[in-house]
Amino acid sequence: MDRVELRIANRLEEISRVADMVEHFGAEHGVPGQIVNDVNIALDEALSNIVSYAYGPDEQGEIIVRLACAAGELRVEIEDAGRPFDPLQRAPPDLAKPLHERSVGGLGIHFIKSLMDEVAYARIDGKNRLRLKKRLPAA
Amino acid sequence: MELIENTRDGVIIVEPRGRIDSVGSKPFGDRLTELIRSGSHNMLIDLQQILYISSAGFRSLLIARKLVDEVNGKLVLCGMSSEVKRLFEIGAFTDLFIICTNRDEGVAKAK
Repeated sequence: MDRVELRIANRLEEISRVADMVEHFGAEHGVPGQIVNDVNIALDEALSNIVSYAYGPDEQGEIIVRLACAAGELRVEIEDAGRPFDPLQRAPPDLAKPLHERSVGGLGIHFIKSLMDEVAYARIDGKNRLRLKKRLPAA
Repeated sequence: MELIENTRDGVIIVEPRGRIDSVGSKPFGDRLTELIRSGSHNMLIDLQQILYISSAGFRSLLIARKLVDEVNGKLVLCGMSSEVKRLFEIGAFTDLFIICTNRDEGVAKAK
């Protein structure tokens, strides 16, 4: 199987199920551990943003995570029906601040952009869709 | 996420295992805060058994670092794999923490 899909509720604890799926999928497809970890970090950042910003605290929603391995790359697609939320529009973090002024606002998207090879957001049919790509080393 | 705790030469050694992500950072951060507030002001966090750390985990480390500073304590990190070190570099956290290669060195620095 070269693709897999998981539907989760908009709660942080659900991210563990996604991480387990990525590890399992990565192992099945011989994806190097570092790439599995990079994808899991990007997913953690993207999903926690969706849980925090695309839905209200008492709103229930479903987030769909799709993984596919094709053409020498790992493709990730995250879809939710929450309010429009483009993580790529968030202000970049100020990484030069001293300890007592440092926060982690905007750090998540910085991690996604640094760890993935391609990141694209689209609002389609009332849904947020974030696509991530990570190139795999030549076999 | 699991947490193993040890004490050596008055230094509390905390060893998280697994993922320090949006889920794992909560018990991890809560425990660090609890330890510091209850008097453990010399702390070494050994990261050798973690898979990765996301921004939520860095938030927990920043909070712990600030709390330790308030009580004039010491917080030292050790055991980072090259992958974990790369995450510290991407987030520009390398200069904000005292980082040692192993436990012996870390305990000496945290005393």
